[in-house]
Amino acid sequence: MSQWVFAGLKAGIVTTPYPRREDHAHGITPGRPRGGVVASPEEIASHCPVGALAATGEGITVDRGRCIHCPACRADIPWEETYEWATVPPEAKEAEVERPFRRSLHVLVVDAGDCGACLSEVGQLNNPYYNMHRLGFFITPTPRKADLLLLVGPMTEHMKLAVEKAYAAMPTPKRVMAVGTCAASGGIFGSSFVAGHGANEVGSVDVVVPGCPPPPLAILHGLLLVAGRAQEVVER
Amino acid sequence: MELNKLEKTLHDRFFERLTTRISSSFLDIECSTADLIEVSAMLFNEQACAFAGMIIEEEDVSWSLRYMFYNDHGMIQVMIAASHDQTEFPSISAHVHASDWHERAAEDLFGLSFSGHPRLGEFILHEQWPEGTNPMRRGFDARAPFSHWESRPDWEPPRVFDSPGAFSMPIGPIYSGIAESVHFQLETIGEEIVRVIPRLFYKYRAVEKLAQGRSVGEALLLAERFNGTSSFAHAFSFCQAVEKIAEVEIPQRARRLRAFLAELERLRHHVAALQGICSSTGLAVAASQAGILEEEMLRLSGVFAGHRYLFGLATPGGLTRDFTDEECRNVAGTASSIAQRLNKLERLLTRSSSFLDRLERVGIVTKDDALRYGLVGPIARASGSGRDLRTFLPYGGYEELLLSPVQEEEGDGYARLRVLFSEARESSRLLNDIAADLPSGDVCVPVEMRAGWALGWTEAPRGAAFHWVRIDDAGNVAEWRIIPPSFVNWHGFHLAAEGFAFQDFPIILATFGLSAAENDR
Amino acid sequence: MITPLDLITAFLGIIAIGIAVVPFIPERRVPQALAAFGSLAAIVIMWASGETLFAGHTFHAWLWTVPGLGRMSLAMDRIGALFVFITGLIYLPVSIFSAGYIPRYTGRYSLKAFSAWYLALFASIVFIPVCGDILSLLVVWEVMSITSYLLVVYEHREERNARAGWLMLVMSEAGTLAMVIALLILAAHGGSLDFAGIRTGIAGLRSGTRWAVFLLSFFGFGVKAGLFPLNIWLPRAHPVAPGNISALLSGVILNLGIYGIVRVNMDLLPITSVGPGLVVLIVGAITALVGILYATVENDLKTMLAHSSIENMGIVTTALGAGLVFLAAGHATLAAIAFVAAFYHMINHSVYKGLLFLGASTVDMMTGTRSMDRLGGLIHRMPWTALAFLVGAMSISALPPFNGFASEWLTLQSILRSVELSSIGVKVAFALAGAMLALTAALAVTAFVKAFAMTFLGHARSELANNAKRATKTLIVPMLILASLCLTLGVTPTYVIPTLDRAFATYTHASATDALVPPFFLATKTNLHGLPADFVHDFSDLGAQSGKNFLPGRGLVVMHRGGEANPVVYAMSPAYTFIVLLLLLGLATGGVWLFAARRRRVVRRAEWDGGVRRLTPSMTYTASGFSQPVRVIFQSVFHPAVEEESRRATAGHFRLAIRRVHRDVYLPERLVFHPLTRLAQWIAACCARMQNGKLNTYAGYVFIVLIIVIIVGIVIW
Repeated sequence: MSQWVFAGLKAGIVTTPYPRREDHAHGITPGRPRGGVVASPEEIASHCPVGALAATGEGITVDRGRCIHCPACRADIPWEETYEWATVPPEAKEAEVERPFRRSLHVLVVDAGDCGACLSEVGQLNNPYYNMHRLGFFITPTPRKADLLLLVGPMTEHMKLAVEKAYAAMPTPKRVMAVGTCAASGGIFGSSFVAGHGANEVGSVDVVVPGCPPPPLAILHGLLLVAGRAQEVVER
Repeated sequence: MELNKLEKTLHDRFFERLTTRISSSFLDIECSTADLIEVSAMLFNEQACAFAGMIIEEEDVSWSLRYMFYNDHGMIQVMIAASHDQTEFPSISAHVHASDWHERAAEDLFGLSFSGHPRLGEFILHEQWPEGTNPMRRGFDARAPFSHWESRPDWEPPRVFDSPGAFSMPIGPIYSGIAESVHFQLETIGEEIVRVIPRLFYKYRAVEKLAQGRSVGEALLLAERFNGTSSFAHAFSFCQAVEKIAEVEIPQRARRLRAFLAELERLRHHVAALQGICSSTGLAVAASQAGILEEEMLRLSGVFAGHRYLFGLATPGGLTRDFTDEECRNVAGTASSIAQRLNKLERLLTRSSSFLDRLERVGIVTKDDALRYGLVGPIARASGSGRDLRTFLPYGGYEELLLSPVQEEEGDGYARLRVLFSEARESSRLLNDIAADLPSGDVCVPVEMRAGWALGWTEAPRGAAFHWVRIDDAGNVAEWRIIPPSFVNWHGFHLAAEGFAFQDFPIILATFGLSAAENDR
Repeated sequence: MITPLDLITAFLGIIAIGIAVVPFIPERRVPQALAAFGSLAAIVIMWASGETLFAGHTFHAWLWTVPGLGRMSLAMDRIGALFVFITGLIYLPVSIFSAGYIPRYTGRYSLKAFSAWYLALFASIVFIPVCGDILSLLVVWEVMSITSYLLVVYEHREERNARAGWLMLVMSEAGTLAMVIALLILAAHGGSLDFAGIRTGIAGLRSGTRWAVFLLSFFGFGVKAGLFPLNIWLPRAHPVAPGNISALLSGVILNLGIYGIVRVNMDLLPITSVGPGLVVLIVGAITALVGILYATVENDLKTMLAHSSIENMGIVTTALGAGLVFLAAGHATLAAIAFVAAFYHMINHSVYKGLLFLGASTVDMMTGTRSMDRLGGLIHRMPWTALAFLVGAMSISALPPFNGFASEWLTLQSILRSVELSSIGVKVAFALAGAMLALTAALAVTAFVKAFAMTFLGHARSELANNAKRATKTLIVPMLILASLCLTLGVTPTYVIPTLDRAFATYTHASATDALVPPFFLATKTNLHGLPADFVHDFSDLGAQSGKNFLPGRGLVVMHRGGEANPVVYAMSPAYTFIVLLLLLGLATGGVWLFAARRRRVVRRAEWDGGVRRLTPSMTYTASGFSQPVRVIFQSVFHPAVEEESRRATAGHFRLAIRRVHRDVYLPERLVFHPLTRLAQWIAACCARMQNGKLNTYAGYVFIVLIIVIIVGIVIW
């Protein structure tokens, strides 16, 4: 088995410098449209197939809970190559008083109808490029040990019971994080007769990581936010 | 067999009971309900046609059921029409076993019943749905929330295995670290798995229903987002169906670039599947190495196409954006280097006996079973029954490309691993071939929608992906059916897991590399 | 002063009154009467045997003379007293238990008959070790065989019971036959039917005869003790008997087989060569391993316990064999230790197996099933039974501080002392036996984890288990008595060892007490009682003298001392361990209570089921599933497991039903009895061929016989 030791050593360290420093590697984020002042906001807003863009006077705002960064508005408004996308919903900001997970956080990942992309991006956190263990974040297969319920997908009818059971089985204090546009709002699948409008169907969401799918660093940012070790990046 | 010869053979057997029409590589057979079983059994068993799937369409006064078969000369459609009040049809799955799940799905979604099928009910729609809920029927409102659930406190899953002390081990839907929501019912008396019943559709989002009445553009968003890990292949397949209806010829450059992107996606998918196999066997270094390659493929896609999972590229008429030849050559170059590192990984893996022990002669699917269940993609090719649509029924940009077929015979986990490695190498070679010789020109032509229906297909990373689309007079999507490869392969998954021990189960699952999102649609 | 003989007379009187009175008591009062007579008799007989066992009051009494055969006599020595004492010890709680248990048969079977047989069996068991001559032994032995048969087939309307009882009777009589021959050989050579006479007159027997006596008696009593391969009756008969009788069969009657082996081969005709001891050792080890293998894969609670009884008798026999070898090889002290281990384990087995059978019977009574595949979750409905069964299971799995640990530990240590023996062959045999016992011990844990967990933990797997009734106090109290005995015997080996040692001192002429229980309590600075000074010093630093001021006896440490090179070969102290365990447990509980539980709110949630709609009982591990790995690993033992597999399918592809049935053929039946049956049938078939109905063939036979007779006659002449 020594061959694996050498193979591992030869690969060297590839881990991202985030969160100590910003990561400037290429291809780590799909980018997303940025709101702001534009020439003809109404017309641009009408290009959006999911109604995420809204004209406000002379500018445009982006509804992060709906935007699936399809390229429809790429030609119209500037896109930003950022990844610190995680936000705390206003109602969760008031509720939270303590942040008990500063040192370690055990995460139960539950797929509630996700397309596979969000789940794949969560999975990347385990690979050497992101290696979330170094930050004290661990995936656990049982809700009994979980501090955080990480939900992906629009919350399908068939998964609702399972998610409710998992949430109930978690010990307090516990948090819920919605990853991806579907989990944030139901996305393009919700809500319908069989899919809901995201993670808030099960309990109050503490952190939302929008994106379709959010890149691994955005999810990492969300985890850091839950742990109280990072700040929200306020959109201007 | 060539389609006109097949047509003649059919007429020799069924005389004037069949109405047939033949156009270029499409044989349309209309038959009566009474002849259906015999015609499909003949196509599947005697003429060795593959079964693509069943497409049901509800019209105002009638039903039409299309059973899609194909061979290397084209598609064969067996169609029966019936009045709207007929809801019972003969089941062909005793002879064409591949249609088993199609019939079960039709029973749930349309409320049709298939006489002779022994196990209908509770398939796509789980136990909480009241009897008689048929969401794909026209009157059903997809956007309205559904509220009349039935509570079933005494619900128990059906069991097959009966032995003193037998029990069923439930796994999921929430299990393991990062896994899609699937429930497995392993029936056993300890150690050996006697019967596996995967319980799927936990993630059923009814995309086919949601698309009804929407514009083609909106349906395309669903097509590429219902399964993020082979998004481009499905978008590609959907676009081809739409382009066939609109009768547009897309530019040569777009055709080549589509093939280029499809191969890029296949390479990424296969690397991810290999990563899954490595981590399922607990080989940490190998899993990390494959994980590095997977992330590099994602970054490569991100840099090249602006999206790590290639969303938002395909569009009816071509592509949403052009790439420079230079960019393509760079991507192909990076892909080659990744393929080389994959070769190195394969060499290391094949020298690790502890790894091979977990794969060799484990999770075997025989060629007969693979054919009978109509398995597709790398799984079928590992069992010696590969029908790669890229060479079998070339489409899109593949007609002019040279592919060397990949095939293994053993049908075990190791054969599936080798197929993944070989196909990844082949994809990297194709990327280079395409990048070296890109025609110039536009990448998109305008598409004028018109009414009609068509079937599009691609060889998605996991196998044959069919999209059947009907466009209404307003140019919107009237009906849309997806036959994803995972749906077909999940059907055959139990073949591989039965008879093996518990501890082999996660590895067999990983070597199948199935997607629940793609199946549950 | 009351002598043991008076007490025995009193005992007999109580039994006789009981048998006489029971027919006249109303049926519904019978259980109480049975319990009263049974427990009273048990107390009296424990007193009687205690006088002999602890105080050393042996006695000998002549009964009447049988014309032409000799006088019958009663004699109680320490070893007999030991067996009688155990009988009383088990009969006491079992009799109380019976009061709560036998009412289940009211209206179906006669409770009066049951009571009469029960008391008669008690008397016969008690008198077997007290018989002083061959004649009375045989009479009492037969009474015991027949009454136990009657009790096994008490539920005689069940076909299965009748068959099992029949097999038990047949095997038992075959054993009796062998035993009679062995005893008659002794009587012939000793010139007396009286044991005392045999002892004095037997000297100078040829080794061939010695072997014959050994083999015949080992075979004869081995049937009763359930030794391999003569135990095919046991796993069938023990489970079908009424629950309280099962406890007696395993807890008391099996011991009688051991008693017979000991009486003949250690007392009447002491073994002088290594060979017989080795046979006992190897047969014991094989018995233990085969017994526990079947116990592990068995799913019927009582059958499983029956197989486990075989295993435990195997362990006792192994230790006994080791002792016989040591004795023959001249290592008297080691022999004494091995005998102590053997009989310590025998007592322990009686206690915990009695307990476990009572527990299993309570489960059977309260649920109506004994199949572990259908039980589960009973701890919620029968908490006390669960507690008692858990104690029994921990004891039998040899977990400290319970009794199984002390004796199994001593047994294994004795076998390891084979390094003292000179012959390589004997060492190899010991090593094999030791390895088999080690495997047995490990499998025993598996078997009883399964038995406890599948019966009492998890979900109820059937409606029967779901509707279990609560056990009554009459059932629970006897179990708790036995459970506390398990603990007591477990923590007091330093008191048990001297008692046992005294019983065997006559045969070994060595003391295990001195070798195993160093007198730490007695040693002072001035009088070291034979212990080296630095040794006493070191050990009192370790606390070996704690308790000296208020506890009688020599100490609480069991320790075997070697020579100069290895001053301590092995040592343990369950008593101190128990105290430390209690302290740690107290500390942990206190700590949790102080630092965690008080501050945090405990919230109970339904168990995590992975998110399925409903976790049904059919989704939990079954007993078969739990033991399947053992079945797979030891395939060669269980093979041929007749496996019927049927699949129902439509058109070959849809599998609608798979059915699989295992039927194990018990190993001794496969290896010994089936070949024997086939041989008998083959011989019969050959004989049948001779009967061809032709006159001249028969004339030929007559002619051949005539010639043979003439030849034989000439040769002998």
